[in-house]
Amino acid sequence: MSADSSTAVILPAPAAATPRTAPLAGVLVKTGHVLVGAIVPLLLLALWQHAASAHWLPVQLLPSPALVYASFIDLWQSGDLTSNLAISLKRVGWSLLLGGGAGLVLGVLFGFSRRARAYLYPTFEVVAQFPVIGWIPLLIIFVGIGEPLKVLAISLAVIVPVTVQTTKGIAQVPRPLLDVARVYRFSLAQTITRVVLPSALPTLFNGLRQAVMQAWLALVFVELLAAGEGVGYLMVWGRQLLQLDLVVVAMILIGLVGVVLDRLLAVLEHRLQRWRRNAF
Amino acid sequence: MFSLKTLRGPLARLALALTAFSVTVGAYAETPPTVIRVGVATPKTGNPPAFTVGPVGVAYTRGLIEEEFKKDNVKIDWVFFRGAGPAVNEALTNKQLDFAFQGDLPSLVGKAGGLNTRLIALAGTRQHVYLAVPPDSPIKSVKDLKGKRVGFSIGTNIQTPINRILAANGLTERDIRVVNLSVEGIAPALTSKSIDAVFSWVQILPLKDKGLARIVFSDHENAAYACNSGVLVTDEFARKYPQTTTRLLKALLPANRWLADPANTNAYISLVAQMGFPEKTLHEDQDGEDALLQSSPLLTDYALSLYQGVADDAFRLKLARTRVDVKQWADRSFLTAALQQAQLTGFWPTLDNNGRKLAAK
Amino acid sequence: MSASHSRRQHDWRGVVAPLLFVALWQVAASAGWVNTKLIVSPLAVLQAGWQEITANGFAHALAASLARDLAGFVLGSLAGIAFGVLLGLSRWADRLLGPTFHTLRQISLFAWIPLISIWLGYTDQARVLFIAVAAFYPVVLSTHEGIRSVNKAQFEVAQVYGFSRWQRLVRLVLPAASPQILTGLNLALIYAWLATIGAEFLLPSFDATGVGATVIRGRAAFRVDVIIVGMLVIGLTGYALNRLAQRLEDRLLIWRGPAH
Repeated sequence: MSADSSTAVILPAPAAATPRTAPLAGVLVKTGHVLVGAIVPLLLLALWQHAASAHWLPVQLLPSPALVYASFIDLWQSGDLTSNLAISLKRVGWSLLLGGGAGLVLGVLFGFSRRARAYLYPTFEVVAQFPVIGWIPLLIIFVGIGEPLKVLAISLAVIVPVTVQTTKGIAQVPRPLLDVARVYRFSLAQTITRVVLPSALPTLFNGLRQAVMQAWLALVFVELLAAGEGVGYLMVWGRQLLQLDLVVVAMILIGLVGVVLDRLLAVLEHRLQRWRRNAF
Repeated sequence: MFSLKTLRGPLARLALALTAFSVTVGAYAETPPTVIRVGVATPKTGNPPAFTVGPVGVAYTRGLIEEEFKKDNVKIDWVFFRGAGPAVNEALTNKQLDFAFQGDLPSLVGKAGGLNTRLIALAGTRQHVYLAVPPDSPIKSVKDLKGKRVGFSIGTNIQTPINRILAANGLTERDIRVVNLSVEGIAPALTSKSIDAVFSWVQILPLKDKGLARIVFSDHENAAYACNSGVLVTDEFARKYPQTTTRLLKALLPANRWLADPANTNAYISLVAQMGFPEKTLHEDQDGEDALLQSSPLLTDYALSLYQGVADDAFRLKLARTRVDVKQWADRSFLTAALQQAQLTGFWPTLDNNGRKLAAK
Repeated sequence: MSASHSRRQHDWRGVVAPLLFVALWQVAASAGWVNTKLIVSPLAVLQAGWQEITANGFAHALAASLARDLAGFVLGSLAGIAFGVLLGLSRWADRLLGPTFHTLRQISLFAWIPLISIWLGYTDQARVLFIAVAAFYPVVLSTHEGIRSVNKAQFEVAQVYGFSRWQRLVRLVLPAASPQILTGLNLALIYAWLATIGAEFLLPSFDATGVGATVIRGRAAFRVDVIIVGMLVIGLTGYALNRLAQRLEDRLLIWRGPAH
């Protein structure tokens, strides 16, 4: 640890301090933060470039940034990058729909039916803690290694957090609210949209966020294990043919998509919170 | 490398004798390393797991290399790679191996990618390629593969023949949907019908016998489609331990010699059957093969021309970054010395660029 | 109705579904309603499990997997706590390294495998490193969060007592942040096990033993029973690890006392 050791440094000040400053100053501070945050990546890039040009490591262990960039452009222009990415995103999309839908149904079932919870939740709880990838060899036997495998495996990764969070979210709905709904003779649909959703939403959204992360994790695994298309397949190709630049390109792509998904979810969460405030 | 043709007559004989003498003397001068790390681009299969195929498999089963280095207390560390040739390249990259028994394409990809290796002998030639489909598949010929999901192990020595077979039928890899499969994943993928077809080696034949697959194409008619594999040594090891390198090759030669005798073919097939293949299948695969030619470790002009063809294809298909000059990469000196020490010089016929036997000298 | 009584009743109802499932499975398999090559009976699975344990050294394989899991977990967690403390305590470290960390974090875990395998080969070091990476992220995040939640008043108390930097860290910051750190460690344990299995599938080698390797062998031999045994052991181990971690977490938090 270095000289910045006063207690003030330890305090979580910046988040609270920013809104109080003037807009221009806020922008400047923000830009400053971005610039500071960029120092390490730039240093790493410089180090990488230097290491590559000084041949600290053989090229098969460390391709130069220029080669990675060239491969990136090459793949982009040939359309391989976008087509593979589109396929991967499609897989994730379908799985989110399928797994998310199944998870919602299960979660609602567990949330509302005490009997379903008593009979099925213990089993679910145990099975939910099986690592997703443990299922994959068995799935391969039953559905092969085609598209169904990918969608099923990723769906399995999605079901668990969605079910758990939905159940939790419904359990957290204040009882009096439900009683009121009963008194007003709300239909099930009305109860869900007017009472359950608004109060369970943050938890449900948490489930969605976890689901997206899990889906992206499972996707890369299945594509590495058995695939003919997708970003994971790009890595397989690079790995099999000792072209590390392709592996790095795919990693960057995977990271970029991760960042974009994360941002999207943040924006969505913000929107939903606004809607929720209005719904009450 | 110098060519033997330029050295004729008594002078040449003298030179050869001197070389042989220096090699013999040198053999006692070199202390071999305590461990020799040998990588094999084939996983063990069968129950119990075995690796018995080709001269290397025979040598491994009989402990020939261990025998050779017994008196020096050298441990031979064998590593068998489930990930086949590409995984061997990763191990070579990490300097985890001294020798590798690896298919032509991955070894060329490794060389092109910057691995400092030398090709010092042939480890296997004319491994046959099969195209298999589920029994009820509508695929009747290679041409029908267009748009279909086709599985094979990317980066192994099967990929070049596949590209040639496709090209001969007016297709490229882009016309099919390639699915990367591990060597062990091929059969389950086909039986579960999750892919439309697979390209594989002899491993696929048992499925045909069980009625789980139909062979649409095999390369028996065209030698250009068969796969080859070689013995590689890292440049570092070859420089540091030239005599040890020669001794390792010399230790393999009795296995080659045994395989060369057609009288041993049945015994060999029983041995390979330990890897989990029915003998019937193996007889079918080996049908019509010339035991002498197939057992040859020689890096003949023909063998090198096959390797060069793979190198050119790999470069053209962007499987490799640079075009390897096989003549520069191959190093015949260790094998020449080993054959001399084993008194097997001239036992295997040399072949010209077209695979024709050259008249024995 | 007492609480313990109702819980026992709850337990009883919970086993109905799995029992019914297994019974149906057994009946379907033995009555030949299904392709028994694909759907082997539960009894066959039990037999295969017994054979794996007695003849094929399954316990040894499981031990090898767990050893890797633990090594990676300890390594990743220690590094994670250290890095999390750094980010949490030093605003400059957070600004300098935070963005890089949060960006790298978005690279899906398994995307590291090809890079690690090229750099370290198909070795146990490679597997352990990968498991450590998996454990690292959640621990960093939770440690960071835990330290950020230590409040100003507590720091002022520390100042009044004249704690040194080290004392402040050990006696104030870490205990105060321990609930979050423990949550992170719990999560790390889950991810480490996932990564252990993933590494055995994606970084296989002939010599490596492990539950993953057993499953691969089952797959190659088309032994559905072996695959199911492997899958169940993988799953139940994951469950057991999770329960264990949860217990430990509860214990530690009780021991820490209700003061905070």
